[in-house]
Amino acid sequence: MTEPTLKDKVEELIRENKVLLFMKGTPDAPQCGFSMRVVGVLENYGVEYAALDVLPALQPLREVTAEISDWQTFPQLYVNGELVGGCDIVEEMDESGELGQLLDAERTEPAPQSAKQELQADDPQQSPPIQIER
Amino acid sequence: MAISTDEVRLMIEASLPGAQVEVVDETGTQDHLRATVTAPQFEGLSRIEQHKLVKKAVQTRFDDGSIHALSIKTSVPD
Repeated sequence: MTEPTLKDKVEELIRENKVLLFMKGTPDAPQCGFSMRVVGVLENYGVEYAALDVLPALQPLREVTAEISDWQTFPQLYVNGELVGGCDIVEEMDESGELGQLLDAERTEPAPQSAKQELQADDPQQSPPIQIER
Repeated sequence: MAISTDEVRLMIEASLPGAQVEVVDETGTQDHLRATVTAPQFEGLSRIEQHKLVKKAVQTRFDDGSIHALSIKTSVPD
């Protein structure tokens, strides 16, 4: 028998976890502002999700996700075996309500509307940007 | 290395004829850009597929390091 390849393992993870997040760092200690934002969104729905820290094998995982999903930047959120997107898409779908439908869950806390409007009065549809990189 | 917002806009427009494209420099350092794209080609595609079309249009400038980050917002024309 041949050893499973990294691609096999990643495909298995995607298949076996209804909600799977590839991220830089861990949910408790994200190492990238974009990963942190996706964790923040997921936490609002109170759903169980698996998180994989990509940093220990960043380049091989980029190559594998490029092959599987034609996408190689992280974070990447998969739901029901399909790539949903990275930070931009997750936040957009959170705001539009599509993410809740996809996750089959309700936000446990409503979006902090008043704070949002104060921070970005010109565009209340956008979450406040968090200026943390990498 | 940096890239002008105009260059990015033109690359996206060339790749998606008929698209309405706006590109802004989010940090003033010309390498963290935000693109807002409305294109008829997006009709019927998932968000991730729409984003892939935008990213492909400027992939060469990611590869050469001109762009460090590009936030994308896509929509289908009304």
